[in-house]
Amino acid sequence: MTADRKIASRAAWLLWCLCLFSLQPLAFDSARGVDVAVVVHPDTPVTNLTLAEARKVFLGNRQYWSTNIPVVLLIRAPVARERNVVLKTIYQMSESQFKQYWIAKIFRAEAASAPKVVYSNDMANELVTAIPGAIAFIDARDVRSGAKVLRVDGYLPGEPGYPLR
Amino acid sequence: MCTRWLALLVFSLGSSALLAQPTPPPPNQEQTMQILLDRIQQLEKRVSELEDHKRKQSAAQTGTSDSQTVAESTPMQANAAPAHALHSEHPANTTEIREMQVHYPSLQIRGFGDIDFSATDQKGSVSGFDLGQFVLHLASPLSEKVSYFGEVSFTAQPSGYDLQVERTIIRYDYNDYFKMSFGKYHTPIGYWNTAFHHGAWLQTTISRPEMVKIGGTFTPIHFVGLLAEGNLPSGGLGLGYSVGLGNGRSSILSKAGDSGDSNDNRAWVASVFARPARFYGLQFGGSVYHDKLSPQQGPELREWITSAHLVWTKEHPEFLAEFANVHHRDIQTSQTFNNQAFYIQVAYRLPWLENKWKPYYRFEYIHKPESEPVLSDVSDLVGSTFGVRYDITNYAAFKGEYRNTRHGINEPRVNGVFLQTAFTF
Repeated sequence: MTADRKIASRAAWLLWCLCLFSLQPLAFDSARGVDVAVVVHPDTPVTNLTLAEARKVFLGNRQYWSTNIPVVLLIRAPVARERNVVLKTIYQMSESQFKQYWIAKIFRAEAASAPKVVYSNDMANELVTAIPGAIAFIDARDVRSGAKVLRVDGYLPGEPGYPLR
Repeated sequence: MCTRWLALLVFSLGSSALLAQPTPPPPNQEQTMQILLDRIQQLEKRVSELEDHKRKQSAAQTGTSDSQTVAESTPMQANAAPAHALHSEHPANTTEIREMQVHYPSLQIRGFGDIDFSATDQKGSVSGFDLGQFVLHLASPLSEKVSYFGEVSFTAQPSGYDLQVERTIIRYDYNDYFKMSFGKYHTPIGYWNTAFHHGAWLQTTISRPEMVKIGGTFTPIHFVGLLAEGNLPSGGLGLGYSVGLGNGRSSILSKAGDSGDSNDNRAWVASVFARPARFYGLQFGGSVYHDKLSPQQGPELREWITSAHLVWTKEHPEFLAEFANVHHRDIQTSQTFNNQAFYIQVAYRLPWLENKWKPYYRFEYIHKPESEPVLSDVSDLVGSTFGVRYDITNYAAFKGEYRNTRHGINEPRVNGVFLQTAFTF
């Protein structure tokens, strides 16, 4: 009987350990506020953007970082949380308004192409590093080592007041 | 997240049950103990795996924080990337990177079309369907700095289809502040003419306002020549400009001088607009256009067109207002004529029914002096348009309109019902 109790206690302790491990990412998410980082190619001559400037860039109204570095917009495919954050905060548009906006933008000859679609944060990380002038929104948890993360309105992801979450 | 909470619930119940059981002796105690021991071993192994996983993530987190170029602050370090392994989904390979980079030339084609129905109580008018305009748009970057845009339209006529080159533009971008282009444009006078072009799907309403009607003469719709445009350094005011020099109107006033100017005088146009950052969606601006007119019939005139616009481009609500004054001065007699036109359009994308419905209203007005010598197809106008747009998909819409208009002075009002399906492909 005593042995059974010991086994039961040990098993209960292990189960609680598993519970804690299972919940740990949940606690991280809550504390983090799951911010979306603005990541640019390392050679991009910018370290800080206001939200209005970020909007200007993503609306295609600013198309050059400098004379020789064109802006290359990368955006996650529909349904991704990063895309939803960008549509809500930057564009302030629905999915269909966003599509119509870019069709109209190209039709007006104001832009040569719409933002390029990326299918994962890893892909965004790779491309933003590989393509000069590229800018992407990536979940702050997935930002890779060596990436150039921009301040937005003077804040980095995780700081109080950071606007992209 | 739900899975985690479910796991917690199951584990809690499981562990509570284990502790609370009075442990009655099972029929085969040794076998049960062996099963439990096996289970414990499995769980210990799982805990060990999770601990290893956490250690790896912590190491990755430290590496990320140390080497981030800008993200040096404590909050970012505390928050960065513990779940990289869990989130790795679709890393880009070399092929994808190559595909993402633009190749030159890189032709994109888009089409616009519309099919219309109209019925009015105007004497002599016939109700029925028509095919509207079929428009092809071509865009092709030729290099990082040079791009080409083209637009051609096919319009149904009683004797066949009328093919028109609406726009053909080659543009060199120096930077955001200076972009130089050559070709045939929609004249940057006012707002509508450069915002919606020939795609009926792009505009909320079925028709354009009369003052910028395709084939109309109130303002020159097209302009052949060169255009410099770009942003002006203005901080949050968001100023932009365009300045153009070109042929202006041909001897047929509704046409541009595609094949050459009708005189030795070049037309010029200058416009400035603002898109203030603080009021995202707002745009206002003004433009000036000057030309010498040498019409087929009538005297030679100096033409000055001044215009202003104020628009709110968001759809909750959408607001468009534009005014233009067309001033003509007879070169021989110095007699002057002022023609005015404006429209105000309000629309609202309803938040219900998946945001597909957008009712709208437009009021438009044109005044032409009786003595105006050249704008023969323009007449005084007071008109109201009520309508609704229903977006069937992201790329197609139905529109229905009721119009009440009066052309000319002391003329009867005309009522009409108009339907359209407009799409892009």
